Amino acid sequence: MSEEQKFDKGSALSIFGSDRKEDLMALVFSLAIAFAIYITY
Amino acid sequence: MVYTKKSPALLMIGLIMLAIWYTADAGMLSGYIEHLGGKKYKYLSELTTIPLYFGIVAAAFGLWQLFGSHKQGSFDYYSSTLAGGMFILLIAMLVRWFVAPEVAVVSMMMGKVGDTGKYIHKLLGLNYVVMGIVMGIIIVNVFKVPHWAENGVRLSRLGLKTGVILLGTLYSAAELKNLGGLSIVMIGFFVLGSVGMVLWLGAQRKIPNSMGGVLSAGMGVCGVSATVAAAPVVQAKSVEIAYTIGTILLWGVGCMFLFPVVGNLLGMSYVQFGAWAGTGILNSAQVAGAALAFQPDGIETLKVAEIFNITRVLILPIIVIWLAVWYVKREGEGAEKVNVGKVIFDKFPLFVLGFILMFALSSTGIFAPANHYKGKYFGNTAEQGFKDKKLLKAEQIAVIQAESGKIQREDRKAAVDRLIQNGKIMSIADDDAIRGLVNAKVVSKDANKILKGAHKAVRHTAKKVKKFRQWITWLFAFGLVGLGMQITVGSMKQAGGQPAVIGGIVGLIKAVLSLVVVMMLVAETI
Repeated sequence: MSEEQKFDKGSALSIFGSDRKEDLMALVFSLAIAFAIYITY
Repeated sequence: MVYTKKSPALLMIGLIMLAIWYTADAGMLSGYIEHLGGKKYKYLSELTTIPLYFGIVAAAFGLWQLFGSHKQGSFDYYSSTLAGGMFILLIAMLVRWFVAPEVAVVSMMMGKVGDTGKYIHKLLGLNYVVMGIVMGIIIVNVFKVPHWAENGVRLSRLGLKTGVILLGTLYSAAELKNLGGLSIVMIGFFVLGSVGMVLWLGAQRKIPNSMGGVLSAGMGVCGVSATVAAAPVVQAKSVEIAYTIGTILLWGVGCMFLFPVVGNLLGMSYVQFGAWAGTGILNSAQVAGAALAFQPDGIETLKVAEIFNITRVLILPIIVIWLAVWYVKREGEGAEKVNVGKVIFDKFPLFVLGFILMFALSSTGIFAPANHYKGKYFGNTAEQGFKDKKLLKAEQIAVIQAESGKIQREDRKAAVDRLIQNGKIMSIADDDAIRGLVNAKVVSKDANKILKGAHKAVRHTAKKVKKFRQWITWLFAFGLVGLGMQITVGSMKQAGGQPAVIGGIVGLIKAVLSLVVVMMLVAETI
């Protein structure tokens, strides 16, 4: 595998290698936002 | 390969954001804000906070990107998306705060359109959501996305998915119960109907089974993710997947702009439009786009539309199983064996489960009292947010007492009696009864005003829910501007001949039929 391929993740629609990874990241972000709102307000 | 570009772009975006914040905070924009509507201008509090926070982040990372050293690796790959992400955000800010309000001012100067009684910007839905998407489409098709922003544009779907998951925090069990039943019936009928219709039309027009199968999932369920999930079970080729995605995009983008105009012309309520968009529009992102275009400064429509959209996604496993059985029957020996269970497990959109998780968390009452409805909850004690100065005065009680004889219904009469005795509404049931009384206009205007005041005194907006609304609005605005930047003429051309014809026929029937059903059966409120 060339160096370029190694870091060339995702598709034209997403920076993530798969939909599953994108979904997981969305879940992580939303939990982080929810936690921040929970402790701040 | 090192993805981070040594470009001053991110630093400049940060400085522009800080300049917006400074000029707004120092009052230098007050003349312009007066021109945009003065006291009616809704975004002043956003202008004096949001660009400050994001400006600092963009400027700091911009300095690091410009002067720091970068090595290839995952950190470089992911942090290189910042410039594009901030670029999208800046466009969303400019459109929301300045461009859309300016268009509204010009539209109002032109006067109302004929007999419609509406200004042209309202009629055409020319708000920040639609303009943001159009701006994205113009940038990518006319000017091209700048090289340094390309990676960040691919963050838009992440923004939309995060927004959908967070939306789960805003539903109360009562809303979900009311909307859930309606959405299951409507979505069940239209999803199964459109899948069946595409398969039938495909057979009539003699397109390959793999093409018909993948197109039926895309047209019936939820666009691109359904296409990807169904592709392995019908052994679709790459070109057939591309045709399907092209058809969905072509149809979906058209609907995203057309639906709000029709909704405005027909005077649809938020619930009606949300139900129609969630049923009739194919792709999740475009459902959100149309819902926000219809109601740009609130998310009631989006909430209804997303419940329908999520119900649709939850039907995905059934469709995959149906298509697997259908394909094996049609192809017989020629069909390769596919593990349907594994396909469903691998391809099921996890973010839908995230939405359900957020709803479950919200139902425990950690963000707002569990009995909240649309972010507002009932509370008539000091601990629950009730202020003693809101207790009814003796003269107000006298006005209501004088008119209580007009009230016929026993529940309303009892609720008003308790209000008179205590000076405040005593329970949710009493609050509902008094709201009903106000809407029925049984008592005089003055008495109604007092009753309305008593209702407002015991309904409180949950602060956390308010913050969630802000985050969701911005995540969707970000995602939709980015989505616009992904709508290229080339991607639409992928639709091809037969798939576009079949998709067009089924899409049109679905849009028209769902509109008729919504107008006939869906109440204006829930």
